[in-house]
Amino acid sequence: MKRLHACLIGALLLAGCATQAPPPGTVVAADRFGQLVVPGRTTRADLLAAFGPTRSVSFDSGYQAWLYSAGAAGGQSGELVLLLDRDGIVRKMRRRPAYPTDGQR
Amino acid sequence: MALPMRGLLGSVMMVNMVALAVLPVHAQETQPATDATPHPASKPHTVTVTSTRDPVDKSYRKMIRGMERFERAHALAPRATLRFRLLPRLPTVDMRGITLKVVGDRITVPVPVAEDNGFTLPRNEQALREDAAVIANRKTTSMTWRAQVVTPGLPPDTRRLGDLRLECLVGVEAGLVSNSAPLFGWIASALNSPEQVCNSADGNFLFFTERPLFSVTLRAGERTEMLPFRMLYAGGDQTRDELQYCDCQVMLDRTYFAPIWDRSWPDDTLVSFEYMEDGPAPAPAPTEGTP
Repeated sequence: MKRLHACLIGALLLAGCATQAPPPGTVVAADRFGQLVVPGRTTRADLLAAFGPTRSVSFDSGYQAWLYSAGAAGGQSGELVLLLDRDGIVRKMRRRPAYPTDGQR
Repeated sequence: MALPMRGLLGSVMMVNMVALAVLPVHAQETQPATDATPHPASKPHTVTVTSTRDPVDKSYRKMIRGMERFERAHALAPRATLRFRLLPRLPTVDMRGITLKVVGDRITVPVPVAEDNGFTLPRNEQALREDAAVIANRKTTSMTWRAQVVTPGLPPDTRRLGDLRLECLVGVEAGLVSNSAPLFGWIASALNSPEQVCNSADGNFLFFTERPLFSVTLRAGERTEMLPFRMLYAGGDQTRDELQYCDCQVMLDRTYFAPIWDRSWPDDTLVSFEYMEDGPAPAPAPTEGTP
């Protein structure tokens, strides 16, 4: 019994040290995204209204990178990444498709 | 493309937070005794201190070992040369006018530092024997260090994957990366060989570009792939508190992981960068800061 407790405590400690993979961005329809998002014009408020909040990284420069996921039927999703400037305006956009090797580890 | 697990860096950071709680006690215990009170009864001793060594200064022996690793693994980048590079770790550090020297018990060797804070290290047998340290005139924790392996003649805004592989091997061998509190950094470097770090998807060896980064694309023959978001910005999942333990702290927007462990990408693979700001690199602006 003591050994079982020791194992459980060890497992809990290990689980505490592990960090979960960051969640992917909010899933959006790529077509709608392409229609609504225009670099130089679309704002942070526009994005939140149309697609909702998503995963983002903020930099010391005031810029932000936002990540949305483009849902795919095959299970693997592509990425839609936006660069927002200090004024909250989309400056750049890129689409990354899902590659066949993405799932390999 | 095999992708790195993001857990390791987070775990290291968690360990570091524990380390910080422990280190002050350790530091107090290891402080050299100082006694400024004169002893009139005894003959005064004169001690000349030419420099002080910080326990986390770079080891000259290790850096020379890194240079030897470069020679052994030169086939990864046959036409490339090796330099080392100093990079900012804290926002307050002034990266202009840095001086560097190799300091042993009885020897001091100045090391010229280029305008881009790159340098090469001379080989000195006495410094090796004396287990010298490589010391900059900045607080050790205010900067990070990297190996720089560059094949000449590459297109602008590109790197070569074999060069990056070699940078990782040399950097780990030379003990350059400082993602940890000192004590745990020492333990981590003792446990992780260059092969373990550079040949593993979990190695988490960070690379930096010269400018803020928006996208990274790999090209090898007909094959082209864009790196996923989680291979940029140190994974993009660092909190403000965690960032202080990452040597990407003030270069987060210039940080990426390259798939150096993935042998399906040959050494000649071109790694090309699209930056946040288009156009040529702006001239470096003077920065305010304190050494």
